[in-house]
Amino acid sequence: MVAGKQDALLAQMLKGTLQYCVLALLSDDERYGFDLVRSLAETDGMVTSEGTIYPLLSRLRRDGLVETTWRESTSGPPRRYYWLTESGRAALDAFRGEWGRFRDAVDHFVERKAG
Amino acid sequence: MSTTPDKLVERYLKHLEVELDDLPHDRRREIVDEIAGHIAEARAVLEHETEADVRNILEGLGDPADIAADARERFDVRKPSPPGRAGWMDVAALVFLLVGGLIIPIFGWVIGVVLLWVSNAWNVRDKIIGTLFVPGGLLVPLGIGIIAVGNGGTSCSPVTGANGVTIGCPDASQGTPVLGIVALALLVLLPIVTTAYLAHQMRRHPAAATV
Repeated sequence: MVAGKQDALLAQMLKGTLQYCVLALLSDDERYGFDLVRSLAETDGMVTSEGTIYPLLSRLRRDGLVETTWRESTSGPPRRYYWLTESGRAALDAFRGEWGRFRDAVDHFVERKAG
Repeated sequence: MSTTPDKLVERYLKHLEVELDDLPHDRRREIVDEIAGHIAEARAVLEHETEADVRNILEGLGDPADIAADARERFDVRKPSPPGRAGWMDVAALVFLLVGGLIIPIFGWVIGVVLLWVSNAWNVRDKIIGTLFVPGGLLVPLGIGIIAVGNGGTSCSPVTGANGVTIGCPDASQGTPVLGIVALALLVLLPIVTTAYLAHQMRRHPAAATV
């Protein structure tokens, strides 16, 4: 597959799933933006341009899936911390179920043909 | 051109701000502030900051245009069409609305109304304004003026203007029909003001969708 096309495909797949990865990262602990981006970037291929996380966080906040508060930082200006709301947790759980089914279904076709 | 790290960051944020221009103000602020915070955090963990470090941070964030495209999609904001050229049909609509009625009595104004409503340069509210103020455009005041002069103030029946204002007829004994002149002036001014307003709106919403 051509590299450009592969990038576009990855971008398409991330479009629907990235927000749940963010919700999952927030499910145990509250985090600030830079920290979140760093965690996502640790996994190869998760984020192509880090800046796009911020519109996503803003959207999640407006949708009531996360809440935020400012906290002082010991090393610089205050940070905006994000954490999961109840409906954020519900959305994540719902996605977990859907994703499991979806992944199995795709695997069912893709893996058989590859093998 | 000097490219100190601070300059690079400043330029990047400015560029981002411009790219996010069509987002609601609070969302734009939030995104720009968060990204500025991200840059500050990333720079703070560097031991000896070099220009290359800062360039890498900005490159990691991505092209402001890409971030803006992503933000527009997240917030369902349509990218505005490039500011444009007013179509000649739109200009014709304004001309016909104002003086069409003089060139081809009444019918010329109707052409203007049709052009106004088929255009996508105005929203419905503006189209209604354009239609109601004043039907006939300058034909109405001109017509009334001609009638008034023709009457010569000798015989007079009250004339009702298109906007419902009754233009009192000058008292024969009275030399200056002040009320009539004021009303006439208003009828001349109103279509001109409306046309100017529509021309202004057309520039502001070059290709706004018909609501």
